[in-house]
Order: sequence, then structure tokens, then C-alpha cells
Amino acid sequence: MSRPERLIDENGRRVDGRRADELRPIRMEVGVLDKSDGSAYVEFGGTKVIAAVFGPREAHPRHLALPDRAILNCRYHMTSFSVEERKPLGMTRREIELSKVIREALETVAFLEEFPRAAIDVYVEVVQADGGTRTAGLTAASLALADAGIPMADLIAGVAVGKVDGQLVLDLCDLEDKYGEADMPVAMAPRFNSIVMLQLNGRMTVEEFKRGLALAKKGIDEIYRLQREALKKKFSKISPEEV
Amino acid sequence: MPIYFTEHEIVVPGQLLSDNGKRSGEGTYTHGGKIYAARIGFASIRDNKVVVTPFKAAYKPAPGDWVVGIVSDVKPNGFEIDLGRHLKGTIRIPDREEVISTGLNVGDVVYVRIKESGLSGVVIDKRSRIRRIESGILIQIHPAKIPRLIGRRGSMINLIKRLTGCEIIVGKNGFIVINGPSPEAEFAAVKAVKMIEEEAHISGLTERVEKLLRELVGGAGAPSS
Repeated sequence: MSRPERLIDENGRRVDGRRADELRPIRMEVGVLDKSDGSAYVEFGGTKVIAAVFGPREAHPRHLALPDRAILNCRYHMTSFSVEERKPLGMTRREIELSKVIREALETVAFLEEFPRAAIDVYVEVVQADGGTRTAGLTAASLALADAGIPMADLIAGVAVGKVDGQLVLDLCDLEDKYGEADMPVAMAPRFNSIVMLQLNGRMTVEEFKRGLALAKKGIDEIYRLQREALKKKFSKISPEEV
Repeated sequence: MPIYFTEHEIVVPGQLLSDNGKRSGEGTYTHGGKIYAARIGFASIRDNKVVVTPFKAAYKPAPGDWVVGIVSDVKPNGFEIDLGRHLKGTIRIPDREEVISTGLNVGDVVYVRIKESGLSGVVIDKRSRIRRIESGILIQIHPAKIPRLIGRRGSMINLIKRLTGCEIIVGKNGFIVINGPSPEAEFAAVKAVKMIEEEAHISGLTERVEKLLRELVGGAGAPSS
């Protein structure tokens, strides 16, 4: 897609008709896959992501296993049909980097010391990419971890903020990401207000950064609420019978 | 003690449960003197502690647990036992002659007790008898469902034993051995166990299990052992 003339029109509406502080329509579902221990599907507008968790299981190769805690493996991958021009199979530099930042974010909340010598594998598969795939992926991955019964301190919710036509906007879509001035994905463990991932591409002033972070926090609170709803919904049919 | 949940409420990781950090139990953690949920499950107060009964959870070995395992390796100083998923247990026998005299070999199924679990791995208690299981059907269910399979004071497992006439050995790690008088009885017991695994949290389970077993083995039930 080519650059639109303006990313924000005279009424303050963005390319997809949203206001500056508005999220895209979000859909979340937990437990979408049968063969994994935990899974989740997350949709932020046109961005669609599936996350699956396997484990705790035996660590392979064995020498990587740690005696006092589990190792967390993470693979962020974009399907070849997720973007406009076919993405070749295999891991690109970008995907390797995002796998790392997602893994490090998840490590801050998961109680890995519960499973010494084991490995937990997290797979994040981007089905369709329309901006904000790493934050959607992290949101899905934390839901899948919780679904797999891995003990964790909090869920992780993420969203991107950015600067487009000189204005701060929430939850960038692909066009805004490509042609905007700055893109800042933020992920937090909202319960303790701790930032577990923060990257910044482009230029922002300190003041803009501060406002951007506050804007992200607002979006994250909403995503966090939806996450808890989605998790509870999966198990709502279950009635508590004494054991 | 102020608590922030209703009995048997579904809680999610990170949810605030109580202000009194001293009463943190299974499935919870403390931060800044407050109790939060670490897993999805039902929150409740048991023995004056806040606990979360998880819907799904990997088996965590604890001293004193009886488990079913498969001998995966014979070493000069003992055995390695596969306890399912990521877990390996070890039996340490200092004397090589004694290792041979136990008669255990790779692939044998054993019913053993855990002595300790920590940095040195899962160590099997060899003072309590290591029981080699000669025959039966070995099945695996989710370890989180084991308490439901046993039932209150063994009510559920005894129901299956009584109606099918099978001997059932339940390992806390999720391995179960069923040994019965006939293939039909064993098949019925396996079906009942699978039903409990799938419908553990839906009420009226005992009645459904009883109905299923009566259909499969007939009203009279197999001759009890």
C-alpha cells in the first residue's frame, strides 16, 4: 500500500477512522488448540496471532537444562501469508530479535523455579500482520501460559503507541507504523505497573515519550481487562465441585 | 483478614486475593505483604490459608508421594525412572551386586515413593518397598485430576474398584495401572477414569460414573476381589 496523503484528517480521524486514543476492535479466545498444553488467539484489528505453550517438558538438548529452574524457549514467527509480499520461510533477523524480547518479557512473570530441569516452549505464530504484532503476540503468549497452568505473577498486556503526522496515537496499524514518525511498543505487567518490554523506533521528545507511555498504559488497562475476561470465560462452564 | 474473592470464584494470575500475606497457600504468591493468585483456578480458604485449586497444573513431586514410573535406565549405581512429562526419578543403590539382584530392567513399571525432590533431582525412597507391577493397563491422565479420581476419602476410586472388580494403582504423577479379572472390566475402568479426567469439574460426576459402569459391566458388577 502506498502512503496516503494524510494519516490524520481534519476531524482528527485516523486512516481507519479511529480517534487518536482509540484501540482497534480486540478479540481474544483462550484454549483454541487441542494438542498444546495452553493456547490463545488474539486479534487487534487486522493483526491476528495464535500462541501455543508446551510444557513443562524435558529440556532438549539436555545440557541446556538448568538445575534450579525451567528454561523458557520462545519462537515468534510470521507465516508466509501474513504480509502482502510473501515472507520466505525461516527465521529472519527481526523474528529472532522479537523471539528474544518476548521471551525476556515472559521470564519476568513466570515462576520458572517451580520446574527445575524442565523446558517450557512458547510458540507465537502471526497469522496476519497489520502492525503491533509483537505486542499482540506477547498478549497472546501470556494468556497461553496461564492456560497451560504455568504459575505466573501476572498476565502481560501490550500495545504500541506512536507519532503520526506530529500527533501521538494509540495502537498503530501497519500504515501508521510504516509512514508515521515514531513507533513505540510497550508491554506491562499491569498489576505491579512494571514495564516488561519497551522499544522505540523513530524520534520523540522526552515530553512526548511521557505522554506516549501514559497513553499506552490506558490501552494496556483495557487489554488487561479483556484478557481476564477471556481467561475466565474459558472456564466459566466449570462448576466447583468439592474434591 | 480482608479477602477480595468469594468462595469458589474463578481467579486469574495476578488477581489480588488478600491483604494478609502470612496466609498464602498453594497456587498463590505474596508480594508486598499481599496475596495474589499465581494460577487460574478456584480460590478458597482451606486450613486457614488462601489457596487456588488450579484447573491445569503440572505434577510437582513432594516427599511421601506414591507415584507410578517406568524404568528408563539401569546404571551401575541405581535406576532412572521416567515419571512422565519432564520428570525423572532416581533410585540410588551404592552396591552394584544389589542393583542386579533387584531384577529390575528397562521398561518395567514400578510403584514407588518419593523421598526428596530438590536440586539433586527426584530421589526415590528405597526403604519403603519398590513394587514392580507385573501386569495391567498403563494409562496417563492429567495430574491435576488425580484428587478428583480418588474422591473424598477414596470414594470415587473405591466405586470403580467395586463395580469393575479391578485393582487400580494410582500414581500422583498421573500414571495409573488398571489390572482386572477380564478385558471388559479393565475397559470399563479405563472409560470411567477417562470420563473423570474430562468431566472433573462438572457436578454430578459420581452418579454419571456409576451409571456408565453399570452399563458397561452390568448391574451386578464383576466379582469383587
